[in-house]
Amino acid sequence: MSESTGRHTPAAGGVQPLLELRDLDTDIALRRGTVHALDGVSLQVMPGETLGVVGESGSGKTMTALSIMGLLPPGGRVSGGQILFEGRDLRSLPADEVRRIRGVRMGMVFQDPLTSLNPTMRIGAQVGEPLRVHERVGRAEARERTIEILRRVGMPRPERIVDNYPHELSGGMRQRVAIAMALVCSPRLLIADEPTTALDVTTQRQILELIDDLREEFGMAVVLVTHDLGVIAGRADRVAVMYAGRVVETAATTELFRSPRHRYTEALMEALPESAIRESGEHARLYSIPGLPPDLSRPLTGCRFAPRCRHATDDCRTTEVTLSAGGHQHACLHPVPAGPAAPVNLPAPVRVEAVPDPARPAAGPGEPAAGPVLSVRDLVKNYTAHGRGLLRRTAGQVSAVAGVSFDVGPGETFGLVGESGCGKSTVGRLAVGLEQPTAGQIMLDGTDIAGLAGRERRRMHRQVQLMFQDSYAAMNPRMRVDAILAEPLDIQKVGGTAERRARIATLLDQVGLSRRVLERYPHEFSGGQLQRIGLARSLALQPRLIVGDEPVSALDVSIQAQVLNLMRDLQRELGLAYVFISHDLSVVDYMADRIGVMYLGKLVEVGPARDVVRAARHPYTQALIDAVPTVTPNAAAARDGMTIRGELPSALNPPTGCRFRTRCPLAQDICETEPPLAGDAHQVACHFPLRPESTAASAPAGATA
Amino acid sequence: MTTLSEAVRPGAAPDQPADAEVPVRGLWRQGLVVFCENRLALVGLGLFVLLAGICFLGPLFYHTDQVHTDLTAVHLGPGEQGHPLGTDGVGYDQLGRLMLGGQTSIIVGLAAGILATALGTIWGAVAGFAGGWVDSAMMRVVDAMMSIPSLFLFMLLAAIVTPSVSMLIVIIGAFAWLGPARLVRGDALTLRSREYVQAMRGMGGTGGRAVRRHIVPNAVGTVIVNATFQVADAILYVAYLSFLGLGVPPPAANWGGMLSDGLADTYSGHWWLLYPPGIAIILIVLAFNFIGDGLRDAFEVRLRRR
Amino acid sequence: MVRYLITRLGQALVVVVLVTVIAFLILHLLPGGAARATLGKEATLEQLAAFNHDMGYDRPWIQQYGMYVQRLLQGDLGYSYQLNQSVVEAISQRLPKTMVLSLLSTVLAIVLAIPLGVIQAVRRNRWPDYAITSLSLLAYATPIFFMGLMLIILFSQVWPILPPEAPQGFTVAEVLADPAGLVLPTITLAIVTIAVYSRYVRSAMVDNLNENYVRTARSKGLSERRVVLRHTLRNGLFPVIALLGMYLPALFSGALVVESLFNFPGMGQLFWQAALKRDFPILLGVTVIISIATVVGALVADLLYAAVDPRVRLQRSAS
Repeated sequence: MSESTGRHTPAAGGVQPLLELRDLDTDIALRRGTVHALDGVSLQVMPGETLGVVGESGSGKTMTALSIMGLLPPGGRVSGGQILFEGRDLRSLPADEVRRIRGVRMGMVFQDPLTSLNPTMRIGAQVGEPLRVHERVGRAEARERTIEILRRVGMPRPERIVDNYPHELSGGMRQRVAIAMALVCSPRLLIADEPTTALDVTTQRQILELIDDLREEFGMAVVLVTHDLGVIAGRADRVAVMYAGRVVETAATTELFRSPRHRYTEALMEALPESAIRESGEHARLYSIPGLPPDLSRPLTGCRFAPRCRHATDDCRTTEVTLSAGGHQHACLHPVPAGPAAPVNLPAPVRVEAVPDPARPAAGPGEPAAGPVLSVRDLVKNYTAHGRGLLRRTAGQVSAVAGVSFDVGPGETFGLVGESGCGKSTVGRLAVGLEQPTAGQIMLDGTDIAGLAGRERRRMHRQVQLMFQDSYAAMNPRMRVDAILAEPLDIQKVGGTAERRARIATLLDQVGLSRRVLERYPHEFSGGQLQRIGLARSLALQPRLIVGDEPVSALDVSIQAQVLNLMRDLQRELGLAYVFISHDLSVVDYMADRIGVMYLGKLVEVGPARDVVRAARHPYTQALIDAVPTVTPNAAAARDGMTIRGELPSALNPPTGCRFRTRCPLAQDICETEPPLAGDAHQVACHFPLRPESTAASAPAGATA
Repeated sequence: MTTLSEAVRPGAAPDQPADAEVPVRGLWRQGLVVFCENRLALVGLGLFVLLAGICFLGPLFYHTDQVHTDLTAVHLGPGEQGHPLGTDGVGYDQLGRLMLGGQTSIIVGLAAGILATALGTIWGAVAGFAGGWVDSAMMRVVDAMMSIPSLFLFMLLAAIVTPSVSMLIVIIGAFAWLGPARLVRGDALTLRSREYVQAMRGMGGTGGRAVRRHIVPNAVGTVIVNATFQVADAILYVAYLSFLGLGVPPPAANWGGMLSDGLADTYSGHWWLLYPPGIAIILIVLAFNFIGDGLRDAFEVRLRRR
Repeated sequence: MVRYLITRLGQALVVVVLVTVIAFLILHLLPGGAARATLGKEATLEQLAAFNHDMGYDRPWIQQYGMYVQRLLQGDLGYSYQLNQSVVEAISQRLPKTMVLSLLSTVLAIVLAIPLGVIQAVRRNRWPDYAITSLSLLAYATPIFFMGLMLIILFSQVWPILPPEAPQGFTVAEVLADPAGLVLPTITLAIVTIAVYSRYVRSAMVDNLNENYVRTARSKGLSERRVVLRHTLRNGLFPVIALLGMYLPALFSGALVVESLFNFPGMGQLFWQAALKRDFPILLGVTVIISIATVVGALVADLLYAAVDPRVRLQRSAS
């Protein structure tokens, strides 16, 4: 990968760009006004290169891709500029011709593989359709070539898959089908719009590698659109950073990550939890970009990032800035000084001034003062499932959680990581009493919650609160924020009217919202604001423990940083304990004191966050870590490490013994017996742990046994 | 990551929520705004007010005898002898009769529609909350009654009891509740599993609170919208029963009955006996359908998220 | 699939049993009941008691229902007071003709409603959509008999090309032998059906056109025509099959009115005349038979839907 970097600079003489956008404007007409989704976007894609387009939601990255493909949503239209593909402007060609070019010379892969395939068409018919339509190929030949392309994207048994329907395949397999469909006519350009965002990290890695391999094999160019800087860092030759409908910076990937020039790019990188950890350990505060992106339906002047930029001056707000010339272009009046000497030129994140709350001596992480706030013992949760066929009517049990035990101390953050379907959310719901366990114990402050009823059970809910991923869904749309915040107090009959009002005011102060929000309804807020309101509601009863189920997963990086900082501040002020459930290892790494890794209903590894992430002992944990794309410019590392193949087994009939053994590179016969969770501080459930516990803490990052 | 709605979501003022320029408005106010933006809904509302005004207030200014027949003035054309819309086969003034008939049609429609909605809401809510076999049993009853075509049911009943205005209301109300029952049950089932209900349970709230504070307020929209469609249907049912000879007996009148009587006059050229009641029925049914569509938008909070 | 089939059959059976219970209850639990209704207001208490005893109406309800079901299973629906023939005989003469009318108008409705709905969805929120929507609503708001009458005035008075009355044949063949007479009843019954179906098709198509897979299809460079016809239409029409079953009760209600208006000798007309004459065995028999027809029709539509739509087929076979 690294050898291809810089191979094609835009200025390289002689080579004509495969695709060139010149001052592209795209408008979307909505009921209330027109949104200027793209404003003067210029980009170049050279033959054979991978261009990464990165930005947060609303930045216009997807609109750029859709404009190129002519797939804008209803009301959308390209209103200015040129789309030059192989030297011809797609906007001035006849519609039929353009359609043919898009069908044959370009291909596109979309974000959600579960909905992007036609559910009632067989795989073969869908994948082969461009051949039949554009190349007028016969049925038999189309089938042959479809099977061939499916084989090349790594589908097992393609001869049989062609006759399947999409919902018979897993998400990763469907994304392979979508890629095959885009490639069946051997296009010159592949546009991949967030191709792995809906997938688990281990699957994401497989798909990204596949796209990389195919690019070389087909000699095509790739435009990789994503919100994830890590995905770009490992894969793209060049990167274009977008913000509010404009390209703000473009450079070769290594160059961009080594020394970002635009203040937005810089801020974005600082907001990543992994940057904070790398710079100053896990207690650093994240840099959070204040505010929200601008409303693109209003007229804007000057740099669009200026209102949120800490380096902005008056001329930023009035002067239109265009991209500078050269290989590394940026549109910033006060760019980060180009520092060739500085290896990673990230400004030091703000350090936490440890201000202990005098009123409440917070138990520091790692030094649990009293007994655990939450203690889970041998937790089991099965759901009954209906079986196939007539004879097995009361078929199996889905084993969602299978014997999980862990403790959470006061003021501690326990991170629970795992891929979708591993049972981490079920553990969270069980811990807050929303579901009844099939077996096992849940102790809150030493009391088994199973034995509680009536009044005691209601009081139990004061101790522990749940925080949701989608706060909008978790709030009654017909209730005002004041009613939403008052509800927990009302249920628990806390205080009188005046007291409650005062309590709500305090809550708003704690989460940094103004009193004005009280009279409004949930639909009037943005995602980050809703998450603050949700947090305020969780805090209303002054719980000792908050279980956060993917609390920042739906948020953009800059907003995510705001919420994570807030959660940490509140933890310090109030001595809260968190169970932080997430699929995102880097966020958990940043937030948690200790981490538990789950796989198919089992806890496979538990230990101090730093040890688990830097010196994993379970092969699955290591695979998970290796699969997470990082912004570390050392892209070559992306290819090494532990890779797991295959698909997650069904929880209906989980493998006996170690549940990971069917996909584990180290598995032996003994793995058919179940390994116990063994060890002192850093426990692992594996017959062949990657490291002994004692050396774990000092092992260098990234090394595998 | 980037859906259309996200890509174009307007940014509020930095860090501080919900831009100050947008005035604070209650949900009912916001709903009213959405309703008023729907031109057809306003037309529907206007039509209803106009028709109801003519029928209920008209007789105060336009006095006619709708009790005694006048065989000296039958089948008078419009404008003859001071009858703006002529007279019918027994000498009733047609305009006055339209007002009287409209009162019956609107009253029966409203009452039957509301009765049906109330019954259906209770049945569906109980089934939806109870769940399990209670739900299955209750919904099978609904299935069974739904498979009997409603007009057949109404006629069966109308053949047994002598129809009067109140009897019509009971008959239609007693069998038109099936649609709302299904709808409310479906709503109850989905609302019960909404995350905000779970969030409330996580605070220690009870099932009763879920029903009172979360499920009922959110189901109210569906119920009210459905009620308007039920009213429109009930007015049509009355017309059909009248056509089939089982409507309210004279001297009472309703638009459906007048229209059916008018059918007999098709070939004799007494068009004023046919078209006015026909058009009146069409207008009132359209009006309720328009209002229902407008209300559906108005109750949809999520619609306003953009 | 087998399991789904059995579950669905079981449900249909339960519904049919409930239908007989409901019909039975309506007739026997209302004030005065069949006796008062049949014998009229002037009947003495002795006459009523004698009638009830003759008919077995003085026994416990359970027993009466048992007898009723027993006779029903033997194909005995009673004897008409007025027609001097058995109910089964009367129905078997009329039912096929009603089926012909319903089927013809359904076919006509489907053939017209699908293209109309597709045009609306493809041109949504533009004038063709508004025009068709307005006409649909107008058709829905017009009482069927008024609509039929307008058609009669138009096509047999103003422009006399069609007869105003339905064919009076005794058998289906005789009815079909007079196609001109079938035109107006069929169209009248079809118009409301078209209004309803085209709205189903429109909303199903609009939903599907907003799906991600349509964007994928477009990204393959397919023509809009192919996107709509090959991708969206199939997916949009599958659920409409199941809706056809749900619409059956309304269709039969419409047939009742249309048959009465055009004097079409079908089951609806039989029912209508029986209602005017308080002929209870006929009323009850027709109600039960037409309901069973509805249940069976809905069952067929449901199974057909499950059989042709791979989404449902595979999901149902999995659970």
